[in-house]
Amino acid sequence: MSTQDAKPPVTPSQASGIRAALQYTGIPPSWLDKRPRLPSRNWLIFLSVTSSVIGLYIYDRRESKRIKQEYIEKVKYLSEQTGDHLSWPRKVTVYGAKWPGDEDYDQAMKYFRKFVKPILVAGAVDYEMVVGKRSGDLTRRIAEEIKARRRVDVGLDPAPSADLLPPNFPFRPLAELRQQELEGGIVIVGRPTFKEFMAGLKKGWTESLEKVDADERLAQELEMDGRFDEPEEPSGVEKLSPGPDSQPIPSSAPSPVLSHLQYRLPPTPSPQSRPAAPSTIPESLNTPPTIIPTLPPILFVSFTNYIGFTQIPLMVWDFFNQRYKVRSGAEAGYRLVMNSTRPFSYPPSPESQPLFSDITSSPTPSSKGDLDHGKESEAYFRSSLSSIPDDIEKARKKYYDGLPAKLETARALARGTREPTKEEIENPPSTEVELRADRMKKEKRWRNDLEGWNIVRPDKEVEWDERFGDALRVFDDPPDTDLPTAATT
Amino acid sequence: MSFLGGARSSAPAGGLNSDKIEMAITELDTITDFFNRMVSSCHTKCVGTRYTEGDLNKAEMVCIDRCVAKYNEVQKKVGEKIQSRGAASAGGGGFGL
Repeated sequence: MSTQDAKPPVTPSQASGIRAALQYTGIPPSWLDKRPRLPSRNWLIFLSVTSSVIGLYIYDRRESKRIKQEYIEKVKYLSEQTGDHLSWPRKVTVYGAKWPGDEDYDQAMKYFRKFVKPILVAGAVDYEMVVGKRSGDLTRRIAEEIKARRRVDVGLDPAPSADLLPPNFPFRPLAELRQQELEGGIVIVGRPTFKEFMAGLKKGWTESLEKVDADERLAQELEMDGRFDEPEEPSGVEKLSPGPDSQPIPSSAPSPVLSHLQYRLPPTPSPQSRPAAPSTIPESLNTPPTIIPTLPPILFVSFTNYIGFTQIPLMVWDFFNQRYKVRSGAEAGYRLVMNSTRPFSYPPSPESQPLFSDITSSPTPSSKGDLDHGKESEAYFRSSLSSIPDDIEKARKKYYDGLPAKLETARALARGTREPTKEEIENPPSTEVELRADRMKKEKRWRNDLEGWNIVRPDKEVEWDERFGDALRVFDDPPDTDLPTAATT
Repeated sequence: MSFLGGARSSAPAGGLNSDKIEMAITELDTITDFFNRMVSSCHTKCVGTRYTEGDLNKAEMVCIDRCVAKYNEVQKKVGEKIQSRGAASAGGGGFGL
């Protein structure tokens, strides 16, 4: 069909082509005479910009959907098998710690949920998500779990038994539980999580087995600190028994009240509160074992969280290129579901260095094998993070500078030496007990944060122990696949 | 506490017997209701309508495991919240939501 409708009529009475066809349809004749034209320059600019942006977005999302479907199709056959309905499915544990600098601790888990989980769901693999809310939380949690496991292994704690459960309750003995764990896996999202995980592993397998209540220990340490002493007493800590205080200081209250308020542990048991507490566990059981039982295989999921003003262009790029994240997440999920593992590749131990020194060109191994996983994502950490220890110190100093004043008020009000002013009746200032509790909370938080930062710092390497070498395995691409194998990512 | 109905009084225990029976009946009703809702909810969510074979396949098993676990957990949390708001609102019966 001819698209030119601007052919000048051969004769006024004989029009051809479209003109003839549309002549009597009721379309205004002037329309049939017009030439096709491009819209104006401004319109062109607007349309091209808008349509390219929208097109990029739509293309990216369609590609993402297609990629996701592709990987789901690959593993769907696993979920369609029927098994013994009383058997337990394969279960993996997913660890996602807080990215340093980000107040939202859930970002790693969100990445997992959006990009890796669909493949796991399609492959009928059960997952349990563990989030580290503050830096260092995951380390502590893993260390506790390992210690609990060691205790059960060694015999200090009883293994779970079926005695107290009702009959026919689905109970699994410990060996079966462990076996189930090994068949599962561990998913680690992001390099901070990896660092925290390894640090927790090392702590758990190196520390002693006795049950230490961290709160108790911190409380005792803080008592020794003497921050809550009366300012009038120069050597408050050495005061043994709360005897009558004969110091003629007008503001100090009568001594029974003073001693009552100042109950603290007498200094004689202070050596006991030091870490060398008498261990109730025989040495033979308490020493860390030299051989670590095999851990479930580990899946690395590379994840970078962009935060900060300077990374906004990266965020924009990411928004329009989500398909790469979909692909890497789906590949990771595929590796996990297909269950093909390889041994962990780690740097040779220092004793064997001379053996390789003539082969390797560099004196120190530049790549640490699997321990380097995700190292490039650390370049994206905000540089302001390095001031975290200083910030904590400053906050601490500020708090302790303001503490004596609050203490004064609390004590004065409690002893009744002065009447509360009107503002104090309305907003009662914290009592001494509250101040102590508050201090405890703050100290705990500061210490935990500092510890967590020291684990996750970019200049700090991933913790490593020679014993881990044989115990760790990593999920890798299945051999007969057309995917490019990840070498040592 | 007095007997609720002379005809229903039983020889042992005191006046609390009928109350306890009432409580037990309520609790049984609650649990049955909870169970039924859970079963129907997780069934609609996890098991498709097209029945190709009689056994559950793995995806359905995993899905049902998670559904039941989540349901249980939410039930517990909601129960705690309701209880902490006082027995008055709890008596109205929002257990089996």
